[in-house]
Amino acid sequence: MMQKTKNEVGKMNRGKRMTKRKIRQNLILTGVNLFFIILSFAILVPILYALSVSLNAENSLLSTDFSFIPKHLTLQNYKAVFVEEPILIWFKNSMILAVITLFLSLGTGIPAAYVFSRKRFSGRKIILRLLILLYAFPSLLSMIALYKLLSPLGLINTKLGLIIVYTGTMAVFALWNMKGYFDTIPREIEEAAMIDGTSTVQLVLRIVLPLAKPTIVVTAMMVLIFVWNEYIFAINFMMGSDTYTLAAGLYSLQATEMSGSWPVFSAASIVVSLPILMVFFALQKYMTSGLTAGGVKG
Amino acid sequence: MKRAWSALVALVLIAGLFGGCGSLNGKAESGVTSGTSDSTGTAGTNGTDTKEEGPVTITIWHDKEDAVAEVLAESLKTLEPDIVVVLEKKSNMTEALKTVGNDPNVAPDMYFFAHDKIGVYAEMGILTPITDILPAEELSGYMENTIKAATYKGEIYQLPIYYETLLFMYNRLYMKEDEVPATTEALYDYMVENTKGGHYGFIEQHSTPYYAAGWINGFGGSILSEDGVPGLDSAETIAALEYHKKFVDLMPGETEYATVNTLFNKGMAHSTIAGPWLIPTLRDNGIEVGVAAMPVIDKTGIAISPYMGVQGIQVLKYAAANKAEAVEKVLRQIMDVNLQVELALISGCAPASEACYEMEEITSDEVVMAMKETAEHAVPMPNVPEMDVMWTVVGNLLTDVNMSGKDVGESAKEAQKEAEQLIENMQ
Amino acid sequence: MKKQNELGKKKTKKTWIAYLWSAPSLLLILLIVIFPILYTGYISFTNMNVYHWTNYTWNGFDNYKDALLVLDNGFIAALMFTVLWTVVNMVLQLVIAYVLASLLNIKNLKLRNLYKTLLIFPWAMPGYVSILLWKTGMFNSQFGLLNQWLVKAGFEPVRWLAGDVIAFVCCTVVNLWLALPFMITIIDGALQSIDQSFYESAKLDGAGWFKSTYYITVPMIKAIITPAVVITAFTTFKQFDVIYLLTQQVGAKTGADLHTILTYAYEKAFITNNYGYSSAISILIFILLIGLSTLMNRQNKRAEVDE
Repeated sequence: MMQKTKNEVGKMNRGKRMTKRKIRQNLILTGVNLFFIILSFAILVPILYALSVSLNAENSLLSTDFSFIPKHLTLQNYKAVFVEEPILIWFKNSMILAVITLFLSLGTGIPAAYVFSRKRFSGRKIILRLLILLYAFPSLLSMIALYKLLSPLGLINTKLGLIIVYTGTMAVFALWNMKGYFDTIPREIEEAAMIDGTSTVQLVLRIVLPLAKPTIVVTAMMVLIFVWNEYIFAINFMMGSDTYTLAAGLYSLQATEMSGSWPVFSAASIVVSLPILMVFFALQKYMTSGLTAGGVKG
Repeated sequence: MKRAWSALVALVLIAGLFGGCGSLNGKAESGVTSGTSDSTGTAGTNGTDTKEEGPVTITIWHDKEDAVAEVLAESLKTLEPDIVVVLEKKSNMTEALKTVGNDPNVAPDMYFFAHDKIGVYAEMGILTPITDILPAEELSGYMENTIKAATYKGEIYQLPIYYETLLFMYNRLYMKEDEVPATTEALYDYMVENTKGGHYGFIEQHSTPYYAAGWINGFGGSILSEDGVPGLDSAETIAALEYHKKFVDLMPGETEYATVNTLFNKGMAHSTIAGPWLIPTLRDNGIEVGVAAMPVIDKTGIAISPYMGVQGIQVLKYAAANKAEAVEKVLRQIMDVNLQVELALISGCAPASEACYEMEEITSDEVVMAMKETAEHAVPMPNVPEMDVMWTVVGNLLTDVNMSGKDVGESAKEAQKEAEQLIENMQ
Repeated sequence: MKKQNELGKKKTKKTWIAYLWSAPSLLLILLIVIFPILYTGYISFTNMNVYHWTNYTWNGFDNYKDALLVLDNGFIAALMFTVLWTVVNMVLQLVIAYVLASLLNIKNLKLRNLYKTLLIFPWAMPGYVSILLWKTGMFNSQFGLLNQWLVKAGFEPVRWLAGDVIAFVCCTVVNLWLALPFMITIIDGALQSIDQSFYESAKLDGAGWFKSTYYITVPMIKAIITPAVVITAFTTFKQFDVIYLLTQQVGAKTGADLHTILTYAYEKAFITNNYGYSSAISILIFILLIGLSTLMNRQNKRAEVDE
């Protein structure tokens, strides 16, 4: 853009216009920055609230004189989370489930999304439309059905059972989401490579995958978040609290009528969110490398 | 070439799926042998254990506070090494039991819960009557009301441990002992006088069925009769709802547990009706809590009569059939009077055995004795399956009446119709 | 003749390979997504309930007869509410997410990655935790932060979840809070996939912001975001947690009479422990949903996802 401005603008006015434009741009930038700072704060209010409650020595979640900065700082609630609850075991369980589900989801989803995007075969359209319709089924009842499915296979109370359920639940999303992105990648590149004699698998690995990085990262993130935050299947299909995932364990910590402490619960909810947050940070640079960064110009 | 390659990819994926299976199963099982409190210990290994030498594992699901579970676990340790009892706190126990109750691989052997689910599970066929394991005569030491609550269709399905009901509690800082209202009108006057500046004279979970039931029962009305007939549109129930409304107007809008109990806990409310499980938290917060008899409803001369729940052990069918001997031993251990006393004191509830009330520890405990007194006119929660739908219907009725300001008579009639329809649809 | 035969063979081979490639994915979907639906369909024709938990038998269309009796005015109202809820939430989500994502892509915005991470923070928390935090931390009339601020500013405290309209607004806010991170991410990713040269040439042609948005941005990102949008629309339609946990939870009802078809079905069927009957209701809702989405698909051919 700058280049063009330079070319268009005459020498005389150059300096003046530049500064004006710069000032205007800076003003907009400041405005946008200010907007995002306020917005971020507004969005984070409930989380800051939990953070403050978890760090405050004498407070429960419900207090009439709340301030974001705890009056008496304490790590007692975090200590309680790590010492009194088997949170490290839950963490390990969540990690195992998340990583395996992630690889299975991408491993099964990418080839499926690719053929559904690129190949024209009988049944393709029907399956695509059917899948999206099936997504409409309210899942409140599928618990019993899945139980009846997994139980005879001996998969209740095993991690594999949960992995299959999670991968299957996310499969429709993975297929649809990645197929949608593959559709937007121009075919010409692949066709050129085909002529060079590249096999389909090589084609996918070398050309399609790098181009589709953003969608793969987004899909992976969705799977990860789903597994990380899912608790209903986990508490129903895993029988002992040592086999719980973080979200299921947190659910069992929830303040119920007879037990549970809000500050500890708040501390636990912060602890649970941190790993996902770190993943967000780590993956962000991949998400921003879109098609243009891949060097493909339409 | 291409074809072979893609076949290979598919194969690798499928192999990965099942390879993962093997190793993960292995992991889960090795967890069983090393972990002490892992309930998977029941899974798979048990069925054969009964026939072989070695310890039998009995898994008990519960939803109790850690302190209660610890006392119970400690006592059951005396059965080792022959019987290893695993207490597993289960967060959504009542739903989970419906799903897994018939599955010998994952179901617990017993569960420790209130008596009100007995009907559902007995009809589902997952429970064994206690009398199949212990002779009926041995249960004669239990208080009549607890055994009655444990009986469904003529069979006793629960070994009672203690029973609980709601108590009238007050904050001694604001309410002196001689100020404790004896009648509901006196309570109302107290509320009018003291509800101001963020303080409340009296609060309760006014639109939550379990709490509102005390008012309905005190008027001679009922939510559900013993044999499963809803009584929402009876004159008594309607009168109770109408009378209760003026109290609700002096309470906060929220009816949920967190709000009500925090207000009392923070010294913002002078009195409340709540469960004994609140007391340890109150003491931790430095609240000097007093426990008194329920106020008498002026119109009927009956005290507010909340529901009573009997907490005890239920035995699942599969365990009774396959581990009868171990199950019996565990039950006998739980019948121990000293254990009952200990459990009662730590939970603030009243022990189920008559014999306990001759013991000094019990008679000297203010909370336990108040509990016993209140329980004398408390109404046992119905244990019929129909009760499952009533919680929602009554919750809606209370919300309509107390919060949305709808006409009491009409709402009650509608709720009655709704309840009847739902009960019909259970069949 | 020979050629045609070969062509046919080629096609069969192509189909075969395509299914082979997608087999693992489709197999999983068959097991985890389709099987429960078929099983629910099967159970809906039996009398599986508390009294016949294991020994249930075929009872034909009895459950459907009962279910159709229950689908009364309340159900129609719940259905209308669900449609309203879905439309309002989807429109707000798309507009807000588009605006935010566009702003995030402004040139020279150095802190964009920080903002992005902060904006998607709500995504990192399990849904029910967030809902509980909102309910007790924000909306509670006694202790909630909103009322504390109101009182400090000299206003009367408000009962946020008590009235129908205000509770609807609160539920929408929470739902947006939960759903926007995903939408922002999707739209942000889509915006970045657009080649900047399009805008440059549009600019040379004298197109303003509005024109380039309308003629370049929207058409270009549409294809990419459609799958995500369709799936989100279904999720919003099926949303149970937000409305149920905020306003309808047993023992913690707030007085607002908000019912989507799912919370309605829950109170009318699921609590009866009659799985045959609940299954019949689920199947009916499922059929209804399919009907609705086919209708919408037909009316809006342009939004067709696949080519």
